[in-house]
This record gives sequence, C-alpha cells and structure tokens, in this order.
Amino acid sequence: MADSYHHVTELVKKAKAGNRASLEQLVDHFHKDVFRMVYYRIYSPMDAEDLTQEIFMQMSKSLSSLKDAGSIRPWLFRIALNQVRDFRRKKSILSFFGTTIELEAATQAMAENHNNPANTMMLKEFHLQFRQLTDSLSQREREVFMLRFVDHLGIREIAGVLKKGESTVKTHLYRALKKFRQNPGLHGLLKGGIL
Amino acid sequence: MNSKNLHLNEDQVIRSVVDENDLPATVRNHLSTCFVCQGKKQQIEQELSSLGRMAREFAPLPRREVRLPFYKPRSLWSWRPVFVAGFGAVLLIAGIWWYALVTTSQEKMMSQIMWETKQDEQLMAEIYALEEYAPVGVYPDVSVESDIGYFDEFLGFVSPLEVNQNAV
Repeated sequence: MADSYHHVTELVKKAKAGNRASLEQLVDHFHKDVFRMVYYRIYSPMDAEDLTQEIFMQMSKSLSSLKDAGSIRPWLFRIALNQVRDFRRKKSILSFFGTTIELEAATQAMAENHNNPANTMMLKEFHLQFRQLTDSLSQREREVFMLRFVDHLGIREIAGVLKKGESTVKTHLYRALKKFRQNPGLHGLLKGGIL
Repeated sequence: MNSKNLHLNEDQVIRSVVDENDLPATVRNHLSTCFVCQGKKQQIEQELSSLGRMAREFAPLPRREVRLPFYKPRSLWSWRPVFVAGFGAVLLIAGIWWYALVTTSQEKMMSQIMWETKQDEQLMAEIYALEEYAPVGVYPDVSVESDIGYFDEFLGFVSPLEVNQNAV
C-alpha cells in the first residue's frame, strides 16, 4: 500500500516534469477507479466513458497546478465529481427518463458478460438494491457514503474532495450509515456475498 | 466486569464504524474489550466491505482507452515565439503610429503655409488697392480735392470760358 503510494507520488512528480510515460501510467493506474466512480453516479457506461476521457484530459492539463503530489487521488476525484455535476446539470431535463433506461441497459449488458445465472441474478439485484439505497440518501450523504465505501477514500480524503471539514463528513457518513442499516434488502444481499 | 449495561447501542456502533476515536473514552475502552460489541461493529464493516467488493465486481469495465494530448510544461525558452510575435507587433504599431504622425504633420505644415500665403496675398492686394486709390472712400470729402467742381466754377466766373478761349 505504502509502496503503491510512493510509486504514484513518483509518477505524479515525473508527469509534472513533462514525462509522457509517467502520465500514461498514472492514467492506467486510476482509469478503472475513475470510470467506476463516474458510472455509479450516472449509470450510463457510454457517458461514463466520455466523462472519464474528459476527466483525464483535465488531469493532464491541470497537473502542473497540483501542489502536493501525494494528494493526487482526492484531487483527481474532485475533478471527476465536478465533471459529473456538470454532466448532470446538462442532462437534468432528460435524467428522469434516461437513467432508468440506461441503468436497465447497462445491467443487461453486464449480465450478458456473466455466464453464471446466479451471478446474473445477483448483479441485477445488487444494482436494484444499491440504487434504492442511494436514492434514499440526501445528495451529500450519498456522496460521502459512496466516496467512503465504493471508492474507498479515507475521511480526510473525502473532506479534501468535497472541500468540507472532517466533522461534517463524519456527520453525513453517520446519517448515511443509519439509513444503510435500515435497508433490509441490501443487507440480505451483502450477507450472501458474491457467488 | 459487568458489561451488560455498557454494551454499545446502535448509534455508538455506527459511530465506531465512522471513526472509533470520536467515541468517549469509556465507550472506546469497552469496545476494545467486549467481543459482543466488536462483533456488531465487524458485522457492519463486513457488510460495507462486501458492498465495495460487489460494486467493484458488478461495475462494467471501461472499453475505450483514454487518449491524452501531451501538455508539456512550458519553459521560458518555449515562450520565445510569443515574445518575438509580441515584439513584432509592437514594432508594427510604432511604425504605423510614426508614419501617421509624420504624414499628418507634413500635411498640416503645407496647409498652414498655403493659408499664410493666401493671407499674405490678400494683405498685399489691400495694400495695392490703398496705394492705387488713395485716399479712398470718405477721405475725398475732407480733402481739398473734394471741392474741385466748385473751384472750376469759380474760375469760370473769374475768367469766362470765351475770354479764356479768345485769350488762347
């Protein structure tokens, strides 16, 4: 973990100095995480691909402005979050219709990749339950919860991403966890684990 | 240790999941020794860990590679074309301004000379006119010459024309 952190920090320093290979390695390192982060906020793989591209373009443009090479992860997630917000703003009119259809299409496409019928069922059920949970949270609770447990950021990192105090982040996280505990469908699914 | 009454309630367990250090010291001490409370906490943490794993497992993978343009950090030397272009632009503007200044001043000077020449000519014309017809206008009335008709009549009386002619 520490090795990975130092490796990424070194890559950032080299990329800032203009090293193309390091920049590409950074993109490779964060590509899946950023894509997944975006996907679980807009539920459209196609749009998530486009946004991910935009996020890394922004990253390569603004990397020189990053003061602390060690804080690349929250910095990058902040860029991603801003891109997602812009995207939602642009698509606000269509989102009511679009996301449901796209979620179904995305789930279907994912299901086709899983040959195991039990896994396919679980995938569909997971997306359904997860969506229900996130819909039950306020915007801030949802953001904090997902950054913590889906994107695996620490409290301090989340505070950096959202530009909020750590105590504020903890308060939102506490409220989100209370609602999470009151979601019986998701609990059952999580206890079953991945087949 | 009678820990029955000290077991963490649901809120405290959730708070311990968020950040154990935020709990009061007594509660924290109890949690560190009570397997029941630790079990409750671990159960939530395991569920959240499963949630993270499933989210990772069930998310689609990106199909497209990210393509990046290369933004090389710019050194001072790399700004040279900008400086050259800027300097050229300044020179061009200065040249145009100087040319405009020179041409307009020449035109102004020429027109000033022409105007002064015209003024001089008018003045000279007035002087010539004064010389040619002097005294002009009102002055004959106050001069001797203005009584010239009366003087002829007087001479005719003194010396009639016939007398004059005979005399001639």
